[in-house]
Order: sequence, then C-alpha cells, then structure tokens
Amino acid sequence: MNIIGPDKLIFGVDDVAACKQFALDYGLVTKDEQNYVSLDGTGIEILHKDDASLPAPLPSGSMLRKTIYGVADQAALDAITAELSKDREVKTLADGSIEALDDLGFVLGFQVTIRQTLDLPAETINAPGAAPQRGVNLTGVSKDFTAKPRSLSHVVYFVPDIEKAEAFYAERLGFVTTDRFTGTGPFMRPAGTLDHHTLFFLKTPPFMQGVEHFTFHMSGPTEVSQAGYALVEKGYQSFWGPGRHIFGSNWFWYFKSPFGCNIEYDADMDLHDDSWEAREALPGADNSQVFLLQSREKWAPGGPPGKP
Amino acid sequence: MGKLWLGNVSDIADGQAKGFDPNHSGSDTFFIVRQGNELFAYVDICPHYNDTSLPWKRHHYLDSASAHIVCAAHGALFEIDNGDCVQGPCKGQKLSKIPLEVSSQQEIWISLTTIKEFNL
Repeated sequence: MNIIGPDKLIFGVDDVAACKQFALDYGLVTKDEQNYVSLDGTGIEILHKDDASLPAPLPSGSMLRKTIYGVADQAALDAITAELSKDREVKTLADGSIEALDDLGFVLGFQVTIRQTLDLPAETINAPGAAPQRGVNLTGVSKDFTAKPRSLSHVVYFVPDIEKAEAFYAERLGFVTTDRFTGTGPFMRPAGTLDHHTLFFLKTPPFMQGVEHFTFHMSGPTEVSQAGYALVEKGYQSFWGPGRHIFGSNWFWYFKSPFGCNIEYDADMDLHDDSWEAREALPGADNSQVFLLQSREKWAPGGPPGKP
Repeated sequence: MGKLWLGNVSDIADGQAKGFDPNHSGSDTFFIVRQGNELFAYVDICPHYNDTSLPWKRHHYLDSASAHIVCAAHGALFEIDNGDCVQGPCKGQKLSKIPLEVSSQQEIWISLTTIKEFNL
C-alpha cells in the first residue's frame, strides 16, 4: 500500500468566513473558492457544515468530514480498493478517487497524489565545528516575513478504541507504528513516507471522536516561531507552544481555531524507515516535549529615554 | 465592598460576547455574553483541561448563530444561560459562572470579592 500521506482534509464548518480568513492568515494560499493549499499543493477544503456535498458528520459533530490520502499511482489505488472492498463499500467518485469508512467511522478518500515535489532549502544554521549551512554575508532572519506552510504534515484523531484504529491502519492500509504513548495511542506513518507520523490517535470516550488537530510542515523552527508570532499579532490565541516534541522531534506551536480543533505549525520532524523500533512512553507533560516556551509581546531591555 | 466598573450594557452588542482582563495579565480571564438585556458571565477556562481559555481570537466566544458558547480548542459547545457543555470533550461539565451587578443606569460592575474568589 504505497500511501504517501494526507493530501487534503475536508471540513464542514460553522463560520466559513472566519475559517477562510484563518487559512489565509496561517499562510495557506487560495486555490479556488473553498480550497486552501500549501506550497506542495496539499491543503484543506472549507465548506459550510450543511453543504450537501459533504459526507455525513460523526455523531460528535466534529467539523472534519473527510481525510483524503495521496497514493503513489493507480496501482496503489487499485490495491486499496481491492483490500477495502473485502468487507465494506468502496465508492469510486467522479474524479477517480475512492471513498470508504475506516473501522472507527472516519470517512477516508484515496487518490493518486496531487502532492508536488518541492525543491526548496530548509532553514539553515551555522555552528562551530560544522561547515556553514549559510554562506558568508547571508543573513538568517528578516522582519520582512510571510509564513509559507510547505506540506500537509499530519492529522490527529480522538478515537474510542485505539487498538481497533491501529489494527485497521496497520493491517489494511500498511501504516507502521513509529512510537506510542502507553494507553493513549500510536504515532503512525504510511509506507510511502519516512515522516515520523502522519497520523496519531488519542484515546477518548466515544462522544469525543473527531479531529484533535492538524498541521503543516514549515521550513524550520524559526519559521514555526515567526509564523506563530505573526498569528498572535493578528489576535489569534495560542493553545500550546512554541516547543519541541520528543516523539518525532518536531518543533510545534498549536493555535485554537474556528475549525473546532487546534491547528499547528510543525518543523524538523524525524524520519524513520522499517529498521526503526517503536519506543513507548507514558503520556504526560514531561514526555510530550523537551521544552515549552510561551509567547509574549516583543520586548527589549531598557527604560524610558535617558535610562541606559 | 469594592467593585470594578466593566462598562455599560450597550458596550456589548446583543448576541455578542466580550472578554475582560481586570488584572492586566495579558489574557482575558472572564467573559460576558449579552442576550437581549440579560448578561451571562463565565470564567474563561474550558472544563476539558481546566487550564486553557476558550476563544480562537479575542472576544470570539460564540458560534455564528450566537446560539452557543464555543471552545475553539476542540469545538465544545456550551449553553449561554447556564454554561452547561452540551457537545464536545467536556460534555456534561460546565463553565464556571460568575456574578455581575447591573445598575439601573445599565452599568456593569463586578465585585472585587468575585475577582479574588475566581482568581480573575
């Protein structure tokens, strides 16, 4: 199952205008009236919750209505159709994509990926003992800044049965568990990516089932921080971060949103292949991050004029 | 007993909400929702984790129809008049309601005792 990762998340929201403005302020670009995309073409679709084209919502009322995965080619799509058709309905939609429910009731789509190959430098650093990543006279930062999310990174679901969820994605779709929080849930990656995770589960009571957050990859920790600070300056409210996770090593900054879930910026996630042995740790603050910072308004030492 | 003036009822449009930060902590600590001439005030803490605030942007506490209070972290919905969570992670729990005084001149006041009691 050569699944590469999430291509698109489709939302049915309460306040369409607020969500579209959030998407733009986050740094996504308007593709058409309802689609907002990152640099590689992956993104989100924003529709009103009553839009007739949307799949039915989960009983919880979660605004995430569909997760569309990109796969390598038509053969991969056919393989998924064959596998899932064994025990459930698999619809073929007009655009050639397929649609089916996972074992928890989340609506999934699969399509030959629209993810474009990016050829962009990562954020660069210079450090004693290492060859410079940034040449002489090249400056590292600028106040002139526009956030440019690069790629849809991962989605996190609240699920009532993590064993059932993990088994479905592992056994039916070929996802691999990279790490796990005991009793809370596994981090999983599909076979077509080395990213530490594109999917993570949090065990919850059934009435909470839905999306917990989603995120896009940025160029590095400075862009996570600068993009997050720009959101704060526009009045958006931080939920958690900035900081750096342990599992995945990704930098993070989460914001509350009108999508009924948190929306994150992430950067510099670990890569793993099949030789990696999954770690396990107890959930909680100490194992969730190596450090946690908190934003405050820009400040500099120095009192009023005349006071050095 | 001392009290703090929060403004006039007309400062909050009908069907809208407003956050307050009486101790200038940098984040609002409580909010008021106006429905007609009724005001409902709650501590700005979602009972889900019990230490995070509700809005995605300052003063954005309500859904688009002004029918429910919303926590923007995970979409929890609360009844405006009693703070009961009716959908979302904290279903069955409730927001912490705080008392206000509204004078005959439609001035909104909160007692310093309330500010201290609710750590606002």
